[in-house]
Amino acid sequence: MPEVTEVVLAAWQFTALLLAPLAILAAAAAGLRRLVRRRGVQTEDPDWSVPPLADAGGATLFHRWDIRCKLLTLIVYSFIVASLSRVAPALAAVAVSLLALVLARASWERVLMRLLAISGFMAMLLVIMPLTAPARPGDTVLVIGGVDWIGFNLRGLAKALAIVAKAVAIALLMEPLLTTAPLPVTLHGLTKLGAPDMVGQMVLLSHRYLHVFRHEAERMAAGMRVRGFRKRTDLETLRAVANFLGMLFVRSFERTERVFDAMRARGYRGRFPASAELRMQKADLALAFAWLAIGAVLVAYDRLGG
Amino acid sequence: MHISDGVLPISVTVGGYAASAALAAWSARRTRSEELPKVAVVTAAFFVASLIHVPFGPTSVHLLIPGLAGALLGPSAFLAIGLGLLLQSMLFQFGGLTALGANTLMMGVPALLCGVFFQRFKGRSRRRQSIIGGLAGALGTALAALVLALLLATGGEDFFGVAKIALAAHVPVVVIEGLVSAFTIGFLARVKPALLEPAFVETRKAVHA
Repeated sequence: MPEVTEVVLAAWQFTALLLAPLAILAAAAAGLRRLVRRRGVQTEDPDWSVPPLADAGGATLFHRWDIRCKLLTLIVYSFIVASLSRVAPALAAVAVSLLALVLARASWERVLMRLLAISGFMAMLLVIMPLTAPARPGDTVLVIGGVDWIGFNLRGLAKALAIVAKAVAIALLMEPLLTTAPLPVTLHGLTKLGAPDMVGQMVLLSHRYLHVFRHEAERMAAGMRVRGFRKRTDLETLRAVANFLGMLFVRSFERTERVFDAMRARGYRGRFPASAELRMQKADLALAFAWLAIGAVLVAYDRLGG
Repeated sequence: MHISDGVLPISVTVGGYAASAALAAWSARRTRSEELPKVAVVTAAFFVASLIHVPFGPTSVHLLIPGLAGALLGPSAFLAIGLGLLLQSMLFQFGGLTALGANTLMMGVPALLCGVFFQRFKGRSRRRQSIIGGLAGALGTALAALVLALLLATGGEDFFGVAKIALAAHVPVVVIEGLVSAFTIGFLARVKPALLEPAFVETRKAVHA
């Protein structure tokens, strides 16, 4: 069995090796953030806007795909991608997802927002895993001359890279999955696939009220700013934030009571009328099979290639 | 912190889904069916609350509020948290689609425990409710961090370092969360104490009947 290979580097080389990818990632994240933020008004809070999950309008392959087929195929495919273990197949999955994005004519801005959301967790994995993965026989470890408590394990790096690629591949698929049909239709499809009726309804209601409460919170935050409130690291800020939260809860609970009474007055008995009629054709099934075949190829590549 | 796609072993993601589905079904049964819309609306409020960032030195942390959710919603909290995380995943990609089950367990189980803890020890006085609420808030976040570390550690010893650092990163969040929860519960005890009663959903039922 081959021993652990140690490659000795000078301290500055080691540091550069660590900092270079970090710097690139940080720059990319900052660039993305600026890109996203340029449109909105500058505020203290990172981003209040709730991105809509609506049909952008279009007639691509994904828009025409039967919702049940689309949901089932892409969810199963996501799990297949999540089960990959090597870097190369995971990168291939990213390529497939990029192709899907182009086919679905997804909004690049929203795709970038999604990538930004996972960038923190991914950066943490990329930095920590190479440094903490224990050396096993056959590994290559980069070490600083004379320092033995820290080493840069290339196997850990490969593992982290595979995870990042898998996460990106699945995140990229979310836009084609969720925005190529209106949300009620997507949820209707989910119900048809066997999810409890109540899940669809509750997601729909929560999604609706998200916007209402976000608006409420924005107004309250604006009021606090006008009165001179600035966020700092101190107890007073925490107290103000807590009161803000409490007020948000009180108002939303009260609003809920009224909305619920109004819904019942209009005959709500725990169910909404069905929103759309679904038709499945051969082409839908063919696309589903083709897509899952791609997944099978990826798994085969993953298992056999190593 | 939410777990992204592709981090956990596939068996853990599927197991997480199964366990979450079972707990969510239990949670839904404990909630009266016509009142599910109410839970949905409260979910939206918690969702918005979790977007609030609190400055911490040069960086900022966002509130997780599993403890508060448990204290306010009781058994329905698990359902509300599962829904909230589903929406966060759909809208913002906070937490991956495949890791949704695991993420729901990570936040939902602490919420249930905190709910029991809060209702059992909250007592009568406002001061005591505030303190117990703060403890519940801190406990909820600490438990969530612990579950996160355990889930990450299922990936094998390569993930132990990541798990330890994730755990350490939550220490300031636990403190902030505890303080904010204490103040919030104190505020609610002053402004609308009915919200802190055991399963406020039940008390409303009596009024409607």
